[in-house]
Amino acid sequence: MRMGGRVTAVCCTFLVVLLANAASAQQKVGDPPEASNMRLIGTNDLQARSAYQPTIHHQGDRWIAYIGHHGGTDDIPDPVNPMTGKPEPNGTSIVDVTDPAHPRYLRHIPGQEGKYESGGAQMVRICDGKDLPKGDRNAVYMLRTFGSEAHEIWNVADPANPVLITRIAGLKDTHKNFWECSTGIAYLVSGAPDWRTRRMTQIYDLSDPAHPLKIRDFGLPGQQPGATGAVPTELHGPISTGPKGNRVYFGYGTNKGGFLQIVDRDKLLSGPKEPTPDNLTFPEIARMPLSAMNGAHTVFPMPDMPIAEFARDKDGKTRDIVMIVDEAIQNECGEARQMVWFADVTTEARPMVISSYTVPEASGGFCERGGRFGSHSSNESMAPVYYKKLAFIAFFNAGVRALDIRDPYHPREIGYFIPSITAATDKRCVTIDGKERCKVAIQTNNVETDERGYIYAVDRANTGLHILELTGAARAVAGLP
Amino acid sequence: MMRAWPVIAAMFLALGGLSAVAGYEMALPRAAAWREIAWPFPRDGWPAGRAFRCGAAECGTEVEAYLRPKLGFCNCDSGVADDDEVDRVADVDMIGPRFVPLGAGDVVDVADMPGRIRVYRLDGSRTAIGIAVSHRCDLMAVAAQGRGDAARVQRVTLRFLASQEVRTWMAAAMEGR
Repeated sequence: MRMGGRVTAVCCTFLVVLLANAASAQQKVGDPPEASNMRLIGTNDLQARSAYQPTIHHQGDRWIAYIGHHGGTDDIPDPVNPMTGKPEPNGTSIVDVTDPAHPRYLRHIPGQEGKYESGGAQMVRICDGKDLPKGDRNAVYMLRTFGSEAHEIWNVADPANPVLITRIAGLKDTHKNFWECSTGIAYLVSGAPDWRTRRMTQIYDLSDPAHPLKIRDFGLPGQQPGATGAVPTELHGPISTGPKGNRVYFGYGTNKGGFLQIVDRDKLLSGPKEPTPDNLTFPEIARMPLSAMNGAHTVFPMPDMPIAEFARDKDGKTRDIVMIVDEAIQNECGEARQMVWFADVTTEARPMVISSYTVPEASGGFCERGGRFGSHSSNESMAPVYYKKLAFIAFFNAGVRALDIRDPYHPREIGYFIPSITAATDKRCVTIDGKERCKVAIQTNNVETDERGYIYAVDRANTGLHILELTGAARAVAGLP
Repeated sequence: MMRAWPVIAAMFLALGGLSAVAGYEMALPRAAAWREIAWPFPRDGWPAGRAFRCGAAECGTEVEAYLRPKLGFCNCDSGVADDDEVDRVADVDMIGPRFVPLGAGDVVDVADMPGRIRVYRLDGSRTAIGIAVSHRCDLMAVAAQGRGDAARVQRVTLRFLASQEVRTWMAAAMEGR
């Protein structure tokens, strides 16, 4: 009897501990942020709009953050802009972050009417007019998406008073564009109406932003107009290394059946343009399939990385590395884990995954917290302060994760920051036994860095912008004082 | 006049018999005629779905249907927008990568979910049906294949999908919709 009592007591204690642990994982308004080697410097609520791409631009003596937004929510399709007093469809937030402790909201440019991924103006890239071959030297150009239907270029030289310059419309979707400021070549993720995929690449010469010149359409064979049979996975986004690197890295697939495609930039831009299977294959150097359970949201190139471990080897001391970041889509771990992969593409025709990184789920009970858990995107700044040393990964309810990538064969987490939720943080729901069950959790969606070393994390669940800095050992890895 | 009655009666009987035979031939099989088989495709990005076969005796031609939910795979607002989307998502590529549409698709409703249906020619004499229907951000993909008349393959597939058993399963598979 006494033995049975002990067993019962142990079981009850275990159960209580388990329940307490699960309960503690859930974020509550008022809870402090969770952090290691990272510190919050400043915040802005971004008018409680669901945020996607932040791009930080050094503009004269100011630092300006341009932040793209997803569409509104079922509850609040068009949040009120307190600066105008009017409801506006989510678009682009422009924030002066010169003093990162006191970011100043300058302007909201409305986007396409629509909720969640159907509206807004998710993507934003910036080029100075003085860098573009035919740009107005006094202008600063912002390339943004306009929901699913168009790309737009604005002059944001006065970021509080942007002026629309150009619109490329008539599309069925848009997404994560890339723009080479030194040449003006833009790789626009578009849905050309006659293509068989929602997202492919339209390449434009935007060296004179007022007069866009179409170069060609590009995608995987099978996606082009008139094709039959299986349709390859849609594009997510490209990153070019420009004329010097002569490579464009395309990520396909988001969270399933992904590919890393390595393309010869010269052949892409000057090769035959008619979208036949042969012409689409012509500039391709290699296509590396990921697992069917993973996709490629961001493919971030880091060519010519010295690898300390290989320093005394006669060959292969430096490696060309591409960091591949999947996107988690399902709430509460309702899919295969989406994470980060490092590929060695030194021998380009035979790229190979060499390592991976994920946040340990048990370290925060992340499958229980609500919303998405898994990777989404990385910083894309190639400024020397972090390039090839540290990478920052947006990991939804696990916040921002700082990785030491100096040895990409063995990436190592050296810091993290999980912002607090606020009253504005939107719920995320799953259906269980026919009933909707919702939780509120941070959903760090995208992250970017600036040349000063500040880290900008934005939230998909309307919690706003979090400006961070490294502390402790992580700061030392970056060589920051 | 009286002698005509047996002839008329015989004619009615003959016509009735012919109609019955025609009706039997045209009658579509019930869900019970279908039996579940193992999911015949290798692992891909989505978990395996459910596969069913109806024999030639019950369906007039052997037909296989493959059903699986793809949660979070659909445009939450526009649903299944066009035929290209059916080509992309309906799993016909699992049956064979080289499928050619026989024409434009059509709107369809399966288990109270709207979407589109399209008919394809596969290698040889096989016909495939691709169906994609959606509820909110989730998609139900259906692919079917059979030999012979495409219209018949489409009819028996849709009849199968309209059965209560399938509707109940689809509702549960779409997370209790």
